[in-house]
Amino acid sequence: MGEINRMSAKILVFSTEKISDPAIDMAGLMKLHYPPTVYTISIPCSSGIKPSWILHAFEKGFDGVFIAADGSDCVYGETCTEKTGALVGKTHELMKSNNIDPARLRMAAICSVCSEPFVKQIRSFNEYLLKTLHA
Amino acid sequence: MKKKKIGVYICHCGGNISDYVDVEKVRQAVEGEDIVFLAKTTMFACSDANQREMVNDIEANGLTSVVVASCSPKLHLLTFRNVTQRANLNKYTYVHANIREQASWAHSDNKIGATEKAIHLVKAAIAKANYAEALETNKVKALKSVAVIGAGVAGMKAAISLSNKECEVVLIEKEPFVGGRVSQWDSLSTTTETGKEIVNRLYNDLITRENITICTNSEVISNKGSVGNFTLKIKKTPRYISTSFHPEDLKKAIEVCPVEVPDEFNFRLTPRKAIYKNYPGEYPQTPVIDLKNCTRCGACEKVCPAVNFSEEEDIIEISVGSVLMATGFDPYTPAYGEFGYATSENVITLPQFKRLIDEQSDTLVYKGKAIQNIAYIYCVGSRQAKGDNTYCSRNCCTSTIHAALTAKNKFPDINNFHFNRGLRTYGKQEILYADSLRSGDIYLQSYEDGLPTVTIEGKKTIVKINDILTNGKEIEVEADLVVLVTGMVPRADNKVGTLFKLPKGRDKFYNEIHMKLRPVETVIDGVTIAGACQGPKNIAESVNSALSAATKSYSIISKGELESEPLVATIDPDRCTWCGACEAACPFDAIMKSEKEGKIIAAINNAVCKGCGMCAPVCEPDAINVTACSSTEIMSMIDALV
Amino acid sequence: MKDSLKSSSYDALVIGAGIAGGEAALNLANTGYKVLLVDKELSVGGKMIMLSKVFPTLDCAACITTPKVSEISRHPNITIFTGSEVSNIRKISDNEFVAKVTRKPRYVHVEDCTACQLCEKACPTSVRDQYQFGLIGRKAAFIPFSICSPKAAAIDIDNCTLCGACERVCPTHCIDFTMETETNELHVKTIVVATGFNLFDPNNIPRYGYGKYKNVITAMQMEREIAPTRPFHTILRPGDGKVPDKIAYVLCVGSRDATVGNPICSQICCMYSIKQAQLLMGALPMADVTIYYINIRSFGKGFEEFYQQAKGMGVNFVKGKIGRISEKENGNLILRYEDINKGKLQEAEHDMVILSTGVLPTKGIDGLFENETLTLDQFSFVGQSDMLASPAKTSIGGVFVAGAATGPMDIPDSILSAGAASSEAISYIIQHA
Repeated sequence: MGEINRMSAKILVFSTEKISDPAIDMAGLMKLHYPPTVYTISIPCSSGIKPSWILHAFEKGFDGVFIAADGSDCVYGETCTEKTGALVGKTHELMKSNNIDPARLRMAAICSVCSEPFVKQIRSFNEYLLKTLHA
Repeated sequence: MKKKKIGVYICHCGGNISDYVDVEKVRQAVEGEDIVFLAKTTMFACSDANQREMVNDIEANGLTSVVVASCSPKLHLLTFRNVTQRANLNKYTYVHANIREQASWAHSDNKIGATEKAIHLVKAAIAKANYAEALETNKVKALKSVAVIGAGVAGMKAAISLSNKECEVVLIEKEPFVGGRVSQWDSLSTTTETGKEIVNRLYNDLITRENITICTNSEVISNKGSVGNFTLKIKKTPRYISTSFHPEDLKKAIEVCPVEVPDEFNFRLTPRKAIYKNYPGEYPQTPVIDLKNCTRCGACEKVCPAVNFSEEEDIIEISVGSVLMATGFDPYTPAYGEFGYATSENVITLPQFKRLIDEQSDTLVYKGKAIQNIAYIYCVGSRQAKGDNTYCSRNCCTSTIHAALTAKNKFPDINNFHFNRGLRTYGKQEILYADSLRSGDIYLQSYEDGLPTVTIEGKKTIVKINDILTNGKEIEVEADLVVLVTGMVPRADNKVGTLFKLPKGRDKFYNEIHMKLRPVETVIDGVTIAGACQGPKNIAESVNSALSAATKSYSIISKGELESEPLVATIDPDRCTWCGACEAACPFDAIMKSEKEGKIIAAINNAVCKGCGMCAPVCEPDAINVTACSSTEIMSMIDALV
Repeated sequence: MKDSLKSSSYDALVIGAGIAGGEAALNLANTGYKVLLVDKELSVGGKMIMLSKVFPTLDCAACITTPKVSEISRHPNITIFTGSEVSNIRKISDNEFVAKVTRKPRYVHVEDCTACQLCEKACPTSVRDQYQFGLIGRKAAFIPFSICSPKAAAIDIDNCTLCGACERVCPTHCIDFTMETETNELHVKTIVVATGFNLFDPNNIPRYGYGKYKNVITAMQMEREIAPTRPFHTILRPGDGKVPDKIAYVLCVGSRDATVGNPICSQICCMYSIKQAQLLMGALPMADVTIYYINIRSFGKGFEEFYQQAKGMGVNFVKGKIGRISEKENGNLILRYEDINKGKLQEAEHDMVILSTGVLPTKGIDGLFENETLTLDQFSFVGQSDMLASPAKTSIGGVFVAGAATGPMDIPDSILSAGAASSEAISYIIQHA
């Protein structure tokens, strides 16, 4: 990996096809930069993420996992927020029992035009991870 | 599993990608993978020539799966799925990698990082392609009917166009009358017809059509289902007046009504009664009683037997194949004190001014005072440096000049002063600007950082500007009337948008999928957008978008059936122990208890399942996976990304 | 006209295969109607396919057009005639028009051509390349441009010396000098006119020195210089091949100018110039770019933000109309202009000047009709008989208009206008069945 990338944490983003993907795409269109070690996997809905996927990412070496949640914009229904919250809570428990800092999993609602909030979130998450993991 | 033979294509995007991502390096990084049969770079993956090459490659080499690394899948996922289909490969074996929006553009500041990321994204796509299976699309019945929401000019035109195509239409209007904003305008530029006349012409066409149902005073209150079959509940508020009213009685009823409320139709310039009609020729012809403001004094009932307070609210349910949104815009409401709005007696908005000149004759009088000098302050609520509305409202320059000219023709004594920020009479509208200059209107242009000011000095209202056109000289005009040229903003009442989960753009108007590729479609399948609810537009532009949306809605449902994605949840019967958690989690009632070979397990109703995956994380024994998004696929992608 | 008169029937005839015509044809075809799409050029795609990137999203034009072009070319309901012209349209009844379509010979059998370019290499004749707007030359045997469709060679017979070199090298023997003009009689139910626009010829304003000073070019030429399929590998000024570093844009060239007979605003020049300025700032980070304007008309969705973005990137906007351009010995150009913000006459030196030329109507469209009158508006664009309520309707029932044939229009508006025209055409067919 190039010299230039040493200073960024590896972050896996779970993003949703209809809501947060457009925001992340638009961040690119607007050339809002964020660390290039941030990778996105698209899924239909944030409430469909299995805790095992997140644990797998940590096991394989990701520094952080970020859930770009649908929030109240979810096209599959109002219960999305609550369900995503529940799976994050469950994962946090699992992380604790595996001695992983629960703060390495973050979630924020990213709507379809939340490009700037997304980039802000990612930058601050990156800083946190660098401070705590690579200090 | 048979070993895959994957073809990988990495797009330069004519420089959009290759200026920042070393595409050749990406190619080299993936070509050695065991399952990659061939890896190529291409100037334009989406070009006809490359599509043909892909078809040849697939057929000649028996590729089992294809990965294209290019722009966002929103743009070209369907393009490349079609390519694989043409090569007789199941389209669900295609996997897309977004290395433009999420690599070259997002990391244009870091070419090494962008290239490194692109390599990982392509590897992840290859990992996913390794598990991609051939799937059959579900066929869903599509109802040949469309709900058009909003009966302004855009909605009415869309309804007529759909009716012409022999499609059933339900036209739903929240207000008691049709016509939307255009019915509020009298004189229009480019035509001798008034806004009301255009509305009436369209309405008279609408009511001759058997396949259009018009619901006024009606709101959509719930939405179930999806493209092909939406079930909407519509709440119809009664008018409390029977259609067999006697006009003379009704006139009396309006006269005797003791209630006066600000008339929204006249932008609160004048009062109206609780029983009312906005203007005489308005459609539908039956007036309405505004029950929110009615005191139920019974005065109208006494003089007009058609008044009937026993009419009841009605809730009807309709099923349609597609929904066309044409909910329009609101004029911007200036903040308290913005250019003297609400703090000065003689500051009004452009829509108010248009109503004022429509209503008056002989001399122009506002609040009892004869008006001579009129100052128009442009871009109020648009092109804001500090506020949220950074956009230009497109139509206000022309609309103002037209109103000023109309006013001058009607009231020759007035003087028009245009305090503008650079006129935007684009296209043929330029002629109107030239006419205005010729008629003696004065144009003063402000600097971007020095907007005009409105000050009250005793009884005088003074508008000051540093005028670019006279070397920044401070010029002041004592105005009898200040007209704030307010732009277009999204409707404040967005209940129906929320109901359909329509996404909004940066400007908060409804957002299209892609301005050029799919300008009237939204990310909600089967819901199209038309007119000013998508962004500021003039009448002709709204109609163009309405007809485009009508064509799109029609083409979605015209075949009577449509394909739906076969991405559904699947149950592993060996793992499932039926606990019911998935059934409780499913928002679509797609999961039920069933018996398979003597074992009680969950079963998925594929026709109803939307593949959201909400059931998967709640399954303790991990028996649920969503097609194309299974744990195997996701984990293999994670492995490739690290 | 011997036995070459073929008669054929379609549901709809779409005249012009640019972005508007293509969109209209696709809408009709996707609804199940048979469409004949005719274009006088050798490729479909109109002007848009020649562009670099498009505002305000900065998608490359090819990314938008090529997949559409590809869809059009492949659609089972669409037949395309390139290098062809429509004439003698007669309305027989409410559901029948008859027209003549003349297909000029390409002298190449398109289906056999592999676009290997061997004929290009063999051809000894060089002429100005109209598809690169004269920036470079091309051969008389040539592939029009790299992303053209159909992607096949053509022989420019006016410049061909009939030496036969191309024929000899062609591996598929697809070059055929015996091809003749083919005339078709066409029966259709409805017609969409999508004939687009012409660009103003800046030779008509001699004081700008276009044609005389080599470093004064048009925006369309710059469009080619920055397009991904560009003729050079970098941006350079034609005079001496130097990479420019002080670039000027002159807006409203041939627009809002009654002295050249075009008083209206062309609606797209502000935005395409701002777009080019942004692309130039990206390609030549050290370059200064100045835009001389009267008013910036960034009125569409996302346009104002795009304008502000250009300002933020450092594009210099000067409110002022250019009086005259003169050339220095080193090829640099002196612009005399009135700086309106400062209120005085100024001079500025630039090493390259781009004229943002305006939109003019395509002439002669009314002449295509024989027994009915296609009314034009006062600017000679196709007239809209019910402009507000049915913008696609013309003076002839069953004939609809799409895109810039009605007046200056940007790409998103052209696409919506094409949507309207096809919607009306579909309704017309159904209602007059």
